[in-house]
Amino acid sequence: MKRIFSDVLFTVILLAAATGLSFCFFHFGNKNPSNITVIYILALILIALKTTGYFYGIATALFCVVAVNYFFSYPYFRIDFSLTGYPVNFIGMLAISLITSATTTALKKQRLAIAEREKELAEADREKLRANLLRAVSHDLRTPLTSIIGSSSSFLENYGDLSEADRLELVSNIKEDSEWLLNMVENLLTVTRIDDTSDNKVKKSAEVVEEVVSEAIRRLQKRLPDVRIRVSMPTDFLMLPMDPTLIEQVLINLLENAVVHSGSTKPVDLTIREEDALVVFSVRDHGKGIDSSALPHIFEGQQLSAETSDGHRGMGIGLSICRTIIQAHGGTIRAENREKGAEFIFTLPKEKEN
Amino acid sequence: MPKFSVLIIEDEKNIQTFMGKVLKRHDYRVLCADTGTQGLDLIRSQCPDIILLDLGLPDMSGNKVISEVRTWTSTPIIVISARTAEHEKVQALDLGADDYITKPFGTSELLARIRASLRHSNRLRTDSTFYIRPYRHGEMTLDFSRRLLKIGQDTVHLTPIEYKIVAFLAQNSGKVVTYSTILSNVWGPYADDDNKILRVNMANIRRKIEVDPAQPKYIYTEVGVGYRMAEDEEDSQSAG
Repeated sequence: MKRIFSDVLFTVILLAAATGLSFCFFHFGNKNPSNITVIYILALILIALKTTGYFYGIATALFCVVAVNYFFSYPYFRIDFSLTGYPVNFIGMLAISLITSATTTALKKQRLAIAEREKELAEADREKLRANLLRAVSHDLRTPLTSIIGSSSSFLENYGDLSEADRLELVSNIKEDSEWLLNMVENLLTVTRIDDTSDNKVKKSAEVVEEVVSEAIRRLQKRLPDVRIRVSMPTDFLMLPMDPTLIEQVLINLLENAVVHSGSTKPVDLTIREEDALVVFSVRDHGKGIDSSALPHIFEGQQLSAETSDGHRGMGIGLSICRTIIQAHGGTIRAENREKGAEFIFTLPKEKEN
Repeated sequence: MPKFSVLIIEDEKNIQTFMGKVLKRHDYRVLCADTGTQGLDLIRSQCPDIILLDLGLPDMSGNKVISEVRTWTSTPIIVISARTAEHEKVQALDLGADDYITKPFGTSELLARIRASLRHSNRLRTDSTFYIRPYRHGEMTLDFSRRLLKIGQDTVHLTPIEYKIVAFLAQNSGKVVTYSTILSNVWGPYADDDNKILRVNMANIRRKIEVDPAQPKYIYTEVGVGYRMAEDEEDSQSAG
């Protein structure tokens, strides 16, 4: 309804303007109808471009032909269909309006289709992540829960028969598994945090980079006290728009990956570099690197726990969450093998907050 | 030494039991309440030394309990809240809670929080000698009377604003201090709400006192809430 109203308004205003302009021309002595026709053709093209459908274009074409005939061709202020070249004039106008309308309509349809497809792709991406998460939840969560339930019931039922060392082992297993569960739950929470906001975007606020980094390291060390991380970052004060909880989660996931899966005891390097339009974060371990067959799909969340060979639980879901978070921030993330070990690099844009 | 009494207001029985056991083991007298109403009754009748309050209670919001208690007593309140709910924490702190602890937490964390809050409330009632005795943690010594900050043997040169920030955090060591509290204490009550100036100053302080600003040993960031300075070592020994 609003669309029709604005289209009609646009058409009327443009035609009035064209007519007014023509009258000026005409008044100041330029009596050649072809100049007037050019003005009308211009108005016609503009109207056909801006309005939806063919109707406005055709109506305008009719109006233009009649107006030129009525106002600006001898005999003035009278319709005279016997003018020479009149049918050519009319057909020309009509053709222009039809062609322009057809082209713009097709263009508009195409643009709409592209937007639709992009939305579907983003939706499919999110769907995929959700499906992966569900798979992870049903599969990966059951393993530690089995161990927790098993250990605790064995502790309760066989308390008397167990040696001190056995009891200690059971309880520490429970602790370890529940901490792993907590990490999983926190990853799940971050996904709901992205889903809550519209358009797959995140709520950004200006954050001090070193504070977010230190919080991530502190939370990781709470769980894995022996983790050693070498941080190098610019000495300048660096603020960056981001959702700090989410970026913390990305750092934790990447650092934990580097510590757990590299199979190396050397400290992990976390390097932060400032560039013109973005900040680059790199997590580099000195272990055995990533299997080259897994490398291209590493962020797709495919290699769940069952497929990892090193006996540790897979972090595939963690990496796909990293990618979702970074993309929602408008950044990029990639993984590469280095001479010795693997490097995960992500960037965050420095753009101003909206 | 008479025991400190702790009131736990928490509707989750298992968490109540776990905290109760830990605290009894460390010589606290433990009171428990399942609901806000019951908790408020216990606070009025028993006057506990410290209150541990879960924000998600079945009968009333935790914030209501805080404002109710704060109308007549300054008994320290430690809020137990979920992570990722930054504004909830800030709101509780603004209403008068002393500190918060994030679920899930370990026993050492719980004990450290209780110690820091108790120490702080005792200091208000007793003498002011603490402010003359230097703050010590790791390599750092902060001498309040001489306004001198040392890391190991080296004197650290702070600007007056930086000194004020560090001194304020040290006086509240072990406790979280919100951005707005620091702003109004250092820059005065009419300070701008924008905490960027504070964060720039903090970044400079960290570059002066921390070996690695990204892995601080003295002043920690509580993202979205404020800062927490490591607990004064002598206090933690005498109270622990």
